[in-house]
Amino acid sequence: MAQKLATTCPQPATTCRQPATTRLRLPAAALTCSVALSLVTAATAGAAEPPIVLQDPDGDDNGPGTYKYPTDPVYLPRSFDLRKVEVTDRGDDVEFKVTIGANIEDPWDSKTWDGNGFSLQFVQVYLDFDHVNGKGFTDPLPGLGSVKFAADEAWDKVVVLSPQGRTRLSSEIRAKAAKFKDAIVVPKVTRAAGKTLTALVKKADLKVGDSGGAPMARWGFQAVVQSNEGYPDKADLLTRRVNENAGQHRFGGGDDGECDPHVLDILAGKAKGDKTEVAEQHRTLAWKCDTKVARLPMVYPAAP
Amino acid sequence: MTDPGWLPGHLPAHRPRAAPLSAICAVAVLVAVCAAAQPARADTQNFDLSARIYSKHLYQNDANQGLLMLGNPFWPDDVAGHNGVGSELELSIRGRVSPQVETGARIASRFGERWHDWWESGNSLYDGKLNTSGDSAGLNRAAYLKLRGTYIQVAPEAAGIDWVRVGASDLAMFNPWTIGKVRYIDRDNGRGYFAAGRFGADDAWQWHAAAIALPKLWVGPWWSTGVGDPALANAFWSRDWAYAGSLRWRVGEATTVRLVGDATQDLEVDVADPDAVGSKNATCKDALGNPIAGCAPDHAVDLYTRYASANATVDFDSQPLDWLRVQGLVGVSWQQIDPKLTANAVQRNQGLSPIAYRDGGDVATTLRVGAQDPWEVGLSLQGEYFNVGADWNSIFGARRESDVLLTEGLVGGGGQLPTLNLANEFLDFDEDWVETCIGWHGGTALATYEHGDARLHLEVTHIEYNTNRQDRDVAQVYPDFLHGDGFTDIALYDYANVTDRGRDPRSAFRKNQYRRTDIAVLRGRHLIDVGRGIELEWKAKAIHDVDYRRLVGPGATKDDYDGTIVQLRGHVAVPVADGVKLGAFTQGEQWDEQNRRGTLELGYGDDTTWKWTAGVKATVMYAGIKANWHLEHIAKAQDREREPDQAWSVWRSKLTVEAAW
Repeated sequence: MAQKLATTCPQPATTCRQPATTRLRLPAAALTCSVALSLVTAATAGAAEPPIVLQDPDGDDNGPGTYKYPTDPVYLPRSFDLRKVEVTDRGDDVEFKVTIGANIEDPWDSKTWDGNGFSLQFVQVYLDFDHVNGKGFTDPLPGLGSVKFAADEAWDKVVVLSPQGRTRLSSEIRAKAAKFKDAIVVPKVTRAAGKTLTALVKKADLKVGDSGGAPMARWGFQAVVQSNEGYPDKADLLTRRVNENAGQHRFGGGDDGECDPHVLDILAGKAKGDKTEVAEQHRTLAWKCDTKVARLPMVYPAAP
Repeated sequence: MTDPGWLPGHLPAHRPRAAPLSAICAVAVLVAVCAAAQPARADTQNFDLSARIYSKHLYQNDANQGLLMLGNPFWPDDVAGHNGVGSELELSIRGRVSPQVETGARIASRFGERWHDWWESGNSLYDGKLNTSGDSAGLNRAAYLKLRGTYIQVAPEAAGIDWVRVGASDLAMFNPWTIGKVRYIDRDNGRGYFAAGRFGADDAWQWHAAAIALPKLWVGPWWSTGVGDPALANAFWSRDWAYAGSLRWRVGEATTVRLVGDATQDLEVDVADPDAVGSKNATCKDALGNPIAGCAPDHAVDLYTRYASANATVDFDSQPLDWLRVQGLVGVSWQQIDPKLTANAVQRNQGLSPIAYRDGGDVATTLRVGAQDPWEVGLSLQGEYFNVGADWNSIFGARRESDVLLTEGLVGGGGQLPTLNLANEFLDFDEDWVETCIGWHGGTALATYEHGDARLHLEVTHIEYNTNRQDRDVAQVYPDFLHGDGFTDIALYDYANVTDRGRDPRSAFRKNQYRRTDIAVLRGRHLIDVGRGIELEWKAKAIHDVDYRRLVGPGATKDDYDGTIVQLRGHVAVPVADGVKLGAFTQGEQWDEQNRRGTLELGYGDDTTWKWTAGVKATVMYAGIKANWHLEHIAKAQDREREPDQAWSVWRSKLTVEAAW
């Protein structure tokens, strides 16, 4: 740098002076050790297997077809539009990648609240390991409103891809979802890049008895796209409500009471990304106060 | 006097020079609101009430009392200080008046009362001198509840309009280069008339428009719209407005183009107008008693523009391939000052001014290209070119809590903003700082490698400066913010610079500058799979900052600044239970700076600074409450060639406890 400056100094050499040699006294050993530790850690991560890929059509980020985004400008179009879910065996871990229709931003500066580098999205990936009637949970996590899984599609584990750090998540789960505690999987790592959220989960955390563990195409999958709410309703697990009308930070197009599903986008049909899955989603999430509860379907990739 | 000029059919003979566009906007918006609103109804299902109690506990081993590490340097407040405990309450109300209308308000106690105040009533008797009576410390120390953030928002059933809002907004709909999102502590103090909508196929076009009341503090010369300016005896600030608009066009699935622009106008009265308060021609007669030609009262007052500014940007964001993202911005910035209505703060306020004292403007360009794991091996690359003109200034831009460049920059953490109006005050020692990027010209390359639960991040940045110039007029035109030199110590900062804290992060200009900076940052983050997982983070940063200062003439070879800054930081955190995390950190720094500070006349000195910081952190979240504790010790030693050496041994702690429901 000093040399470069000297050669580009616009004045005669007699009036320009090179900076004196810099002095570095702090040892470089700590830095070297840190880099080595990073590389070792990175190199020991598991090798990839072909992922299970589930797709969703674009433009169906409207729940049963009527939902509207909040009016605050941070809720950019397609921010809750599910496009793809990839589940990959990574040795001792399982990687979940969820792609949405917009670049994932961090307008609320998540690092200041020990978050994971994004602010708005909250995705819950439900897993059914056995497809057995009566085994698992039919109620989703609190905060998704009036919606259920069918008894033969009851879920066994749910992976939560949240911008909230593990400390907040574990505290909220303990307070609001205690009965699901052992079934909720908080990833080791959750991060965002481009349009994709990535979560790394210990394979051991996906085990239920003899089921679970390494991902299999015979599992059932459902990815529910919601929005992270840092100040949720007292019973809601960090989810943003859907009201009758959109507000600054409330989705609209639903109900001000408890009749509607608080769900923006899900996997539907065979999860091939076919346009017919839009109508399928609207049909399954349709609701009517006192008479019809919306249903969250499981998608079984290995099913014929 | 009341200006009736906005009433239709009632134009005054003495028409104001500055058209009251704000008043027209107000009427238009109110008409829209009234036309769309349905009869109000009370409905508890549509009434949200939320609350939050927050308390802060500050400690430092000094004799400084208060609740905030850095307060306002210009208006000395009674909040700032290092030892104190205080609480605040806020109530947020959201109402659904009708299917089309939402209302909101926030009622929050004024922060500043210390627990030790006990019975302060709000009175400020005894000439402002504190005593034990309970009637001496004033309203700030009585935690009074203040109305904030009131708004009415209507969603008119009209094509192309989503909503119209009258009242408070955080101004997040524009961008940091024009009108920035208001900083957290001021989040709902900005008020105005706002509207937004969409049109076109698939709502491809989205627009926002606003008229915003200028804060009497900070958007203008002397950080004001007239109040406190020595050139004005009777500031007129209640009709000062900013006007802004944005238009976003989604070009297909992959590309967005956005145009954002704003203009600010600070008006003052014509003191020659006989109708003006404080007019020098109130009688329309000169000193000899003769009538002044053309002077006649008409119950209307002429206005002049004290300060006006306009900023506009065009930006695009395109993702032509799944892994490739390209973002760019081109902007222009302009300002005009009426020197008759604006005293020169550069000259009269020790170089402290949020504007250069001159008419003109400049351009800015950024281009960012990102490749998101193109080889599917976990390696992502980003590159950015930036070029911000020396005379660019976003006077109403973001002041903090935003970041326009990819680089970590010199101060780290908070990022860079293209304004002289940065707000590194009203904060505590654990909060990030921002720095100005006015005049920055260079590039950043950034590589991120992610594999499993490890992440490595390498940044290299080179900065040259459009502000490089010889014999720049920092006496009359360009602010240099107390002439501070050397690397900035944000951890032990003092506004008056009595402790050699280095260059002010707002300081873009220097009398003689020929500067270049190189920055390298390497960061790592890992999760060690033991127990609940041990989070390990580390960072190594090196800055080489060279400024030849004066290039020719006497002393040219004796004032060259050459600084090498090295920082190493490590942080480990362990979740020990649900909602409980404990951590420890340490940071070592060494600054080798030749000719850190001084003058050509007095000479410069070679100084070395060592800093060592170590501390612990704890987070507890339980059943709806959240507590954060941060304790640290800073040992700092400055070995100075020309001045006495200095040493610090600072213990300090911050505990916050809050609950929201």
